Amino acid sequence: MSNAPAEATKAEETPAEEIDLEPANHIIDKYLTLPGNLMPVLQGIQDEYGYVPRPTIDLVAERLNVYPSQIFGVLTFYAQFHLKPRGRFIIRVCVGTACHVQGAPRIVETFFDKLGIGHAETSPDLRYTFEKVACLGACGMAPLAMVNDSTYGSMTVQKVDQIIADYNQRPMKSK
Amino acid sequence: MVTLTIDDKQVTVSKDATIYDAAKAAGIRIPIICHDKKLQPFGGCRMCLVEIEQMKGRQIPACTTPVTEGMIVRTSTDEIIKARKMVLELLLLKHPIDCPVCDAAGDCDLQNLTYEYQVNTNRFQDEKFNWKIDYENPLIERDMNRCVHCGKCARICDEIVSFGAYSFINRGIQARIGTEFDGPLNCEFCGSCVSVCPVGALISRPFKFKARWWSLNKVKSVCSYCGTGCQLTLGVKNNEVMTTIYDENQGFHNGQLCTRGRWGYQFVNSEKRLTTPMIRKNGKLEPASWDEALGLVAKRLGDAKGSPDSLAALVSPRLTNEELFVMKKLFKETLGCDNIDHAGGYSHKALTAGAIESLGYAGSPSVIADIKKTNLLLVIKTDAYETHPVLGFEINLAVKQHGVDIRLLSDKKGKLSKLPNAQTYVHKAGADLLLVNAIAKVILDENLHDAAAAQAIGGFSAWQQSLANCAIDQVAAQCGVDADTIKGLARDYAAAEKALIILPTGMGYPGHGKEMAQAVINLALLTGRVGKEGCGVLILGEKNNSQGAADLAIYPTSGGKEAQAILSGCAAGSIKTLFIAGENPVVSYPNRSQVEKALAAVEFLVVSELFLTETSAKAHVVLPACSFAEKEGTFTSVGGAVQRINPAIKAIGQSRSDFDILSGLFQVITGQPAYANSAAAFLDLAATVPGYAGLTQAGLGDNGAIRTVSGTATFVPVSAAAPSTEAGKFALVTGSALNHCGTLSLYGEGPMLVCPAGYIELSREDAKAVGVKDGETVKVTSATGEVKLAAKVGSRVPKGLVFAPYHFADSSINTITSGNAITWVSLAK
Repeated sequence: MSNAPAEATKAEETPAEEIDLEPANHIIDKYLTLPGNLMPVLQGIQDEYGYVPRPTIDLVAERLNVYPSQIFGVLTFYAQFHLKPRGRFIIRVCVGTACHVQGAPRIVETFFDKLGIGHAETSPDLRYTFEKVACLGACGMAPLAMVNDSTYGSMTVQKVDQIIADYNQRPMKSK
Repeated sequence: MVTLTIDDKQVTVSKDATIYDAAKAAGIRIPIICHDKKLQPFGGCRMCLVEIEQMKGRQIPACTTPVTEGMIVRTSTDEIIKARKMVLELLLLKHPIDCPVCDAAGDCDLQNLTYEYQVNTNRFQDEKFNWKIDYENPLIERDMNRCVHCGKCARICDEIVSFGAYSFINRGIQARIGTEFDGPLNCEFCGSCVSVCPVGALISRPFKFKARWWSLNKVKSVCSYCGTGCQLTLGVKNNEVMTTIYDENQGFHNGQLCTRGRWGYQFVNSEKRLTTPMIRKNGKLEPASWDEALGLVAKRLGDAKGSPDSLAALVSPRLTNEELFVMKKLFKETLGCDNIDHAGGYSHKALTAGAIESLGYAGSPSVIADIKKTNLLLVIKTDAYETHPVLGFEINLAVKQHGVDIRLLSDKKGKLSKLPNAQTYVHKAGADLLLVNAIAKVILDENLHDAAAAQAIGGFSAWQQSLANCAIDQVAAQCGVDADTIKGLARDYAAAEKALIILPTGMGYPGHGKEMAQAVINLALLTGRVGKEGCGVLILGEKNNSQGAADLAIYPTSGGKEAQAILSGCAAGSIKTLFIAGENPVVSYPNRSQVEKALAAVEFLVVSELFLTETSAKAHVVLPACSFAEKEGTFTSVGGAVQRINPAIKAIGQSRSDFDILSGLFQVITGQPAYANSAAAFLDLAATVPGYAGLTQAGLGDNGAIRTVSGTATFVPVSAAAPSTEAGKFALVTGSALNHCGTLSLYGEGPMLVCPAGYIELSREDAKAVGVKDGETVKVTSATGEVKLAAKVGSRVPKGLVFAPYHFADSSINTITSGNAITWVSLAK
């Protein structure tokens, strides 16, 4: 027997997001006539906005005539989609076997301390998102970290400081 | 055909059957959880595993595997039993097994199969889920801890309801059925998901903890809301209708119901039911005995026998055929009074004035089954879904499963507009008649019809002549649909192998009357679509027995007054006695203040009703009537299906069925009994009403029978004027709200929980211009009056058009309408 069922609480009241739907409309225009266009459209939106904002889900539902529930099902199935804003810089630290034995846990903790965010969290200024990942496929460079598409091998605690100092200087706008 | 062997039994089935279908045909039961005959095969639960000899004993699901010639199937080997037991063990691993407090107990596939397969231990161990239960909506409780992931709720909501409220969300062990953004359920609340849920994951909140399933007495009946004629099963205990029970083998709709049918039953046992006759004494309604009340009414009616002009009756098409028949016998035959009408005197005109002149009978030439057999559906107004939701499910199925091409001629978009490849021709309000004529004109001009066959039908040349001045370019400009689009639609309609036109009618649709019906019938006749399978015209009578009332001619047939004239007569004093059975003209007839004046003026008003409605409250004598659940009789639904209702409970209080009330009056007035019972009345009815010959109540059985139609078709010229416009005003069109039907649903709990009050729907642009936001109050003013309604802002209605449902007694829309198809209104914050 389960415990006494808990009463569902009201869905979190999130203020209506004010976002520019123009890029999303462009992406939908591009794939409008393609059969099976939901995935490329959602991927395009994810790339454009860094996550899939709720208003774009409603827009996609309306324009592609797909139920919002189904879109939500797709978005929650694939790990590649994010429903909340992500940092400008995604820091991934490998905690796979090779990196682990080379001291990855220390690297992870140092990032936690310096950034003040934990695993899969985003800093309030939306500069960083931190993730522990299982393997980045470059065990020879262990311990390994990645920031967006840049790779940093043979990580040390000092290098963490350097990386953060470097990325703190970089502009927030990418495009 | 394919022949195969299942458990040593030879069975021959069609080649697209599955092993499950074949086994069923051979009388062999294969257990299922996720399979449903109405839905596409899913193959998720693995309960229906069977062994195929040709596949070296591999276990495969019967519900998704098509049959092949010579296949040898075993459905219950030791290995299969073992596999099914394991499926159950795995399902029970996470299931809370809280049967003692689960409403599904007794009607639960998981419980029944666990018992059948004697799974009393579980080799696996795991923690249970602790998903939060969704109590956010008033009707459907969602407990995902009990869910077995059959996906039926998501599939029925997609495939049949076409709303798509649910989807599997998340992945792996976290996967479960969720809604968009995992929020509370916000849907049509038809409850189809509850009906197909094999366990107690989705349950009916109004029924929760009311009664155990096995203690309910199950009584088959027919829904008393709209004209679709859905069969339902009432769950009864202690003389109370506790719930409606899903039976997938009932009716053309396989047990599917809408909000009203499933959750609107509470009016039957409502505390507001009238339990005793009442007579107005010193201005106040006081309880009285039946003898006193009937004596008073009978005397009044008997006295009027010499002057039948001073007498009139308004009868609800919710009454049974037998009741209507006795009503007619009493008024028309005995008292000689032809001032008898129903449904506002206008909402039945598509049948009783239009079809009767064009086809020779007051009915549709088509039946509901034609919807799935056609190739092209032309729906006049998207509202067909709102007026007849379960018929709307049939349309969804026709489009989604049978690939029917759907075209909607409508003044607004609607749910049907979202169906795959649906084309909605949004036209200016009131331009539909003009457009239908224009389609016919294009077909004539381009010679897309069988000219010889059309000319053989009476009235062809006069009708063709009447269209001579119909210029497509001009129509296009007047309607707001461009000429090429009209031509394209006409060509597609003419070219379709089979085409069916659907015309919803009702109190909210004054424009869908005689002319509209005749225009669409002309179109069907022109293209040779009348009397063929999957073709023709389906006129949707609004109420449960609208078709019956039309068949029985419950309207003036020899010079008597129509409903509006009856009310004018009351106001003018020429009609002194008005008998109202079940109608609520104060709320539903156009121009409320005039109706109220008329009812206040009439000398003697008798109302037989279930409730003290806005109308019965004004009566001199109120007779408490029975609901559909307390009486026997028949209803005739859309397409002419005559179906029986059965008494489920004893009459509430001292209430009597209208059959008994009218028979009682007949007996007092004439000294003879009208009929021994309703079956006897039906015999007489069958002998006199065309199309009912040979039918008997007993012979109808559970499935009912389609009454026949016969008549001579003829073309009838229909003149269509350009839609009117009034600068600076909004075109108000009325209609049906999805969750309501007439004014009866105001006494049903479910419909009122979902849609408790009237509203006015307007476009985003107009809302911005008027300066109102969704939910804010808008003052709507017409030439007739003024009413305040909550704004519903959306993308369904076009700019310049506003829509309001008519059912609601408070701020009723008939305060500002006067019976025209369009009411010009101004809006203010």
